[in-house]
Amino acid sequence: MNFGYLIIVSTHADIDYLKCAYAAALSIKNTQKPGYDQVALVIDNPTVVKNLKSPWVFDYVIEWNKEKHWDGRSWMDKLSPFTNTVCIDADMIFLRDYSHWIDYFVENKDLYISNKSFTYRGEEISSDFYRKAFTKNNIPNLYSMFTFFKKNTEIATEFFTLGRYILKNPTEFKNLYMVDHKPKVLGTDEAFGLAAKILDITDEISHNLDFPKVVHMKPMVQNWPWSAEKVTEHAGFYLNKDGNLKIGNYQQTDIVHYVEKDLITDEVISLLEEIAWNKN
Amino acid sequence: MTKGILIFAHNNPQIDYGLMAIISAGLAKKNLKVPVSLVTDKWTIAWLKESNMYSKAESIFDKIIEVDKPVTKNYRKLHDGFNSQTIPFENSNRFSVWDLSPYDKTLMIDSDYLIFSTVLNEYWDIEAPVMMSHSMNDITGDRAGILDNRVSETGIHMFWATTVMFDKSPESQFFFKLVDFIKDNYRYYADLFRFSPKQFRNDIAFSIAKHIMNGFETEFVYTLPPVFTIFDKDILLDVDKEKLIFLVDKPLDCGSFWASATKGVDVHIINKQSIIRNKDKLLELI
Repeated sequence: MNFGYLIIVSTHADIDYLKCAYAAALSIKNTQKPGYDQVALVIDNPTVVKNLKSPWVFDYVIEWNKEKHWDGRSWMDKLSPFTNTVCIDADMIFLRDYSHWIDYFVENKDLYISNKSFTYRGEEISSDFYRKAFTKNNIPNLYSMFTFFKKNTEIATEFFTLGRYILKNPTEFKNLYMVDHKPKVLGTDEAFGLAAKILDITDEISHNLDFPKVVHMKPMVQNWPWSAEKVTEHAGFYLNKDGNLKIGNYQQTDIVHYVEKDLITDEVISLLEEIAWNKN
Repeated sequence: MTKGILIFAHNNPQIDYGLMAIISAGLAKKNLKVPVSLVTDKWTIAWLKESNMYSKAESIFDKIIEVDKPVTKNYRKLHDGFNSQTIPFENSNRFSVWDLSPYDKTLMIDSDYLIFSTVLNEYWDIEAPVMMSHSMNDITGDRAGILDNRVSETGIHMFWATTVMFDKSPESQFFFKLVDFIKDNYRYYADLFRFSPKQFRNDIAFSIAKHIMNGFETEFVYTLPPVFTIFDKDILLDVDKEKLIFLVDKPLDCGSFWASATKGVDVHIINKQSIIRNKDKLLELI
């Protein structure tokens, strides 16, 4: 089986996405079984990868600069070097082995996109605070942060082709399909949701599963009685030397989409590196 | 396997917990048909004797276990309808229940928890070291606040120690030792779990112990049913056979009440004075 994770980043003036991707790749190497721990990085400036202490965590480094920021993810099917790929956001870390779920996807699916996320306390997020465009316009609630696909399958090719077309023509698609709530920016999640709706493949590519269980640290959906700009204003982020992560008083055991990029400090990187070095 | 119920009761000058324990035990024994024991102190026993309730206590309780009265600096504001007073809250020795209980499987209940159903009998055979109520239900359905469901706004789930069932396993022993440790280091845990340390609450200490023993995750599988709660601003007005008639506070309409009634359900009546006022009719039910 040829499988790997794909992370797509580009240079940003204020955010070090490479550092986030590096933490994600380290956490994958630290937690996934051999054969399930390959990581490919797509980046506009690959020379900076050499500056990392352990650039080997990226099994593939692919130079690509056709799109900026998140729009690049819609090209995942074209960019992945793997036959079976999970494309993830850069600001995610893995905390335990998921190889059994990868086996499930490889055996059963050509394309699967996550459709729910969780608070740091393990509650399924029901608030549409950040997703009114989905609820108001009856668009499937897809999260592109965890997208599994098989390369060159009909459904994946058709889906990503339409997704790219939507991202290239946001105004037209907002006017056609998002009349009840037009988002300022039509991002990858909205494009994927619209593509699934237009192709009428939602049930096929995103039915109810117990995985992936992604903790999404956007502050306004944490079931708090007040508004917040950051989760870490109210709940600490504690990574120990064994790679165990607590947020607030809660042990995290699944994938954490931490959102606040500055949580990946040099100390966090050092902890993840040391685990990787000891393992390998 | 022996099974039984245990109730703690330590009187203070304002509230006759010993009398409430007799009422609670009598109803529990009648409806669950299991023995009930009392954990109390010599001062409460003395008052039971002085108030001519000790013989009733002896007839109802399987065992009366005398312990030292817990030393407390713990005070709470307790309402009786719209009246309120600040009273001592002598609740800090619950952790000792594992050592004190004479039963292999014990249901510990608060003395203001009145059992009118057989629901809790369904839980004796569940193999879990410690089970607590996973939530509370307010009689109106909409007055419970966030701090009735969580230890703090951003913190862990609040389980209710009003009803706790446990066995005599090493796991449950560790649980109660941990509760004792949390009690002794309450300010530290208040800082860590972000709650006010002003008043020691067993609900909080038990919830933290459960959270820690579950690997810092919330677990709802092995729990007791919700605690059906009548707040202290509500008033137990009358007891008509097994029907309890309440005046229920309208929170947004100060001075107004709804009339409500319960029958055949277990109730946690926080307004202790109103239990005492209805003692004769409640004792008749036993």
